[in-house]
Amino acid sequence: MSPVRRAVLGSAVLLLVVAGLLPVAGMILRSLTAGGHLGFEAYRGLLGSARQWSLAGNSLLLAALTTVAALLLGVPAGVLVGRTDLPGRRLLAALLAMPLLLPPYLNAVAWMAAGSASGPVARVLGEGAARTLSHWLFGLPGCVLVLSTAFMPLIMLLVAAALRGVPPRLEEAGLLAAPWRTVLLRISLPLAAPAILLGAALVFLLALGDVTVPPSFRYPVFAVESLSQFSAFYDLSAATAAAMPLAAITAAVLGLEALVSRWTGAGTAGRGREPGPPPTVPLGRFRLPAAVTAWSVAGLLVGAPLLILVLRAGGPASYAAALGQAGGSLVRGLLLAAVGGTLLAAEGFLLAVLGVERPRGAGAAADATALFLFAVPGAVMGVGLIVLWNHPWANLIYATPLILLLGYLARSTAVTLRICRATLELVPPGLVEAGRVAGIGWGRRLVWILAPAAWRGLAAAWLAGAVFCLRDVGMTLLVHPPGWDTLPVRIMTLAANGAPELIAALCVLLVAATVIPVGLLAGLVGRMEAGS
Amino acid sequence: MRRLAVCAVTLSTLLPLAACSRRTASLKPQAQRVVVYVSEDQVFSQPVLEAFQKETGIEVRAVYDTEEAKSTGVMNRLMAEKDNPQADVYWANEPIRAEVLRQRGVAEAYDSPAAEGIPATFRDPEGYWTGFSARLRVLIVNDAVEKPPRSVLDLADRTWRGKVVLANPLFGTTTSHMAALFVRLGDAEARGFLDRLKANGVRLTTSNGESADQVAAGQAGVSLVDSDDAINRVRRGDPIRMIVPDQEPGGLGCFVVPNAVVLIHGGPHPDAARRLADYLLSPDTERRLAEADCAQIPLHAGVPVPKDVPSLGSIRVMKVSYAAVARKMVEIQQELKAWAGY
Repeated sequence: MSPVRRAVLGSAVLLLVVAGLLPVAGMILRSLTAGGHLGFEAYRGLLGSARQWSLAGNSLLLAALTTVAALLLGVPAGVLVGRTDLPGRRLLAALLAMPLLLPPYLNAVAWMAAGSASGPVARVLGEGAARTLSHWLFGLPGCVLVLSTAFMPLIMLLVAAALRGVPPRLEEAGLLAAPWRTVLLRISLPLAAPAILLGAALVFLLALGDVTVPPSFRYPVFAVESLSQFSAFYDLSAATAAAMPLAAITAAVLGLEALVSRWTGAGTAGRGREPGPPPTVPLGRFRLPAAVTAWSVAGLLVGAPLLILVLRAGGPASYAAALGQAGGSLVRGLLLAAVGGTLLAAEGFLLAVLGVERPRGAGAAADATALFLFAVPGAVMGVGLIVLWNHPWANLIYATPLILLLGYLARSTAVTLRICRATLELVPPGLVEAGRVAGIGWGRRLVWILAPAAWRGLAAAWLAGAVFCLRDVGMTLLVHPPGWDTLPVRIMTLAANGAPELIAALCVLLVAATVIPVGLLAGLVGRMEAGS
Repeated sequence: MRRLAVCAVTLSTLLPLAACSRRTASLKPQAQRVVVYVSEDQVFSQPVLEAFQKETGIEVRAVYDTEEAKSTGVMNRLMAEKDNPQADVYWANEPIRAEVLRQRGVAEAYDSPAAEGIPATFRDPEGYWTGFSARLRVLIVNDAVEKPPRSVLDLADRTWRGKVVLANPLFGTTTSHMAALFVRLGDAEARGFLDRLKANGVRLTTSNGESADQVAAGQAGVSLVDSDDAINRVRRGDPIRMIVPDQEPGGLGCFVVPNAVVLIHGGPHPDAARRLADYLLSPDTERRLAEADCAQIPLHAGVPVPKDVPSLGSIRVMKVSYAAVARKMVEIQQELKAWAGY
């Protein structure tokens, strides 16, 4: 390995370790040394309390139901937008993917507004209907509704991508003996099983670690308990101990996912891609019913909450007040997202290069680490960052936005890594090999051959990274330096006794701040793609 | 086109980085800045802090609590940052946690001239915290209830079986109130009250706001909440009324929960911190908070208040030492956890 290559890739791995693994390790160490000596004191109260077990049960139930709901919605949606001739499938994919770009509690705010005494349901169907909706939402059903809407796009996008990677020759062979429906069920979807499994694992873990939606619907869960331990009981060791089961479950689920994926024959990546787009699955007589159903579901789950927020916000006065209260937070959030997106794209790209070059060694370890950190709850990461960096010698990091950038790197590298990896696998190996034969060094090959060849992936990674920075709440809430709160955090802090129309206007502003840049950049990339 | 893309990404990164570095550079300690951690709701505290910034030219950098952090998130940050303080001032929404900060060596004594006129009950004798703009702990009763309770202790009577909701006593002002009852009544009597309350089928909610909403919706008959929760529901026309409890001669008195300002020991901007403390403790800030939706009660005499906000002089106040309440709060934490089923 050349020294440049070792230094560059080693730095990327080190950054991931420092940003993510060290805080988590520091928390574990602190929880084990509570009381000044090595032991399990902090864990005793946790394991001995019936309430903790009940909370754990609630969390697992919520995560399981959310995963089932997301699978039921996400797999068909992935098939429809990924492979069929459904009318308006690209727009539908964009609409359904929108909740993934936004903090999940935005949807919770919208549904709560729908069920309020002055909400649209009360106005159209009467107060009784609004009360029934509100009664139904508060508790487990509301949490499952909002979280499955928020995380379903992960499964949809993974399924769509995996189905596009299925070798056409296998499907064509199947079509000789069976109709499309059978080919999809017996050949295409089984080949996409690892992607579905990964999606399900991620949805399970994200639902398990969410601390924003369950409190909104007053459903007690374990992740909120870990935040409360930090917030209410002045006990960092107990807070750490309370967070550890989540970290353990995260590691276990991802380990299981990796094992099952290996057992079922690894991912679709590298399965032997063939030139040309995969064949489109004709829906035939089901085209119209499928379109009506898909668009109705998208309208109900994504369009309706957005409309409710817009209606709730009212006129320009609300938006003026919202900008007055939180304009600075919006700008700060966008600044941090731009810088965070770049760091995440660079880190994801380098780790993806490592993954392509060393698929079974360091690359696999980096991928697993990034995925683990992605699924660790934000509040857990936040407490870990405080424990690690809150020292006078680290003020340059702790007292500045660098602490947020480190947190973003820890939380979202998995997203950009996976995007870059998928793109790098499409780069013809001969291109890089030609550069090597021509005597071009590793670093120059990386900059002048690999990066330009993977520019679409890098652009998508930057965008995804920026969006994930912008939507973060759990970690940002705990560690943002004074004067550096972002819009999602500001919405959370204003939610206590804030006017409903102000909160709704802030939510609409956040949606606009996220969706408009994403739309513009997606359009730009589309035009560049067409141009090239 | 690719060069255009590279330029776009480079610019979109470098420009924010430049902006970040400018802001970051300005994070160095300077006299014209103050960092304040705030547990009072942001909708009420932010206008006050903005007015201070406008009037003095001192830039205010604030970190606010969220409902999810149960108003103690920033306090824990203060304790975590004790050896490396980032904040200058803590605006606590109650004095008990301010007292805990004093006991843990996070607070710094300051005898503000603006505190003159605030009754000694609401000030730490050594100046580690000073109270201002208070809430009362009141009973909120649905209009359908004909004979409302008059004392907090009535809630444990069989008359109210299954009709009482209470915010989780592990969080917020309910914790302080329970600790105050332990101090005022003695451990045995307070413990008996809690046991009877539990046996009476009290239901726990996540917040005082939720308790007030349940009473307003008729899902519960009565609850013990903060006065701002009750006044808000009265102002929006909900079918409830507010009762200031224990006002009979010789009674317990009403537990009063003032905001408190605390200077942070070793904070980076001590001079600006004192000016902010003076501002928060001024009668003008108290008037502003009385007129706001939080309807808080001024502690300075003679500050005008809206008609629906009771004045301090008209209330029989529970006589209790906040320092003793703070110590008791820590002492009974495990007991309250067990009581609440944690």
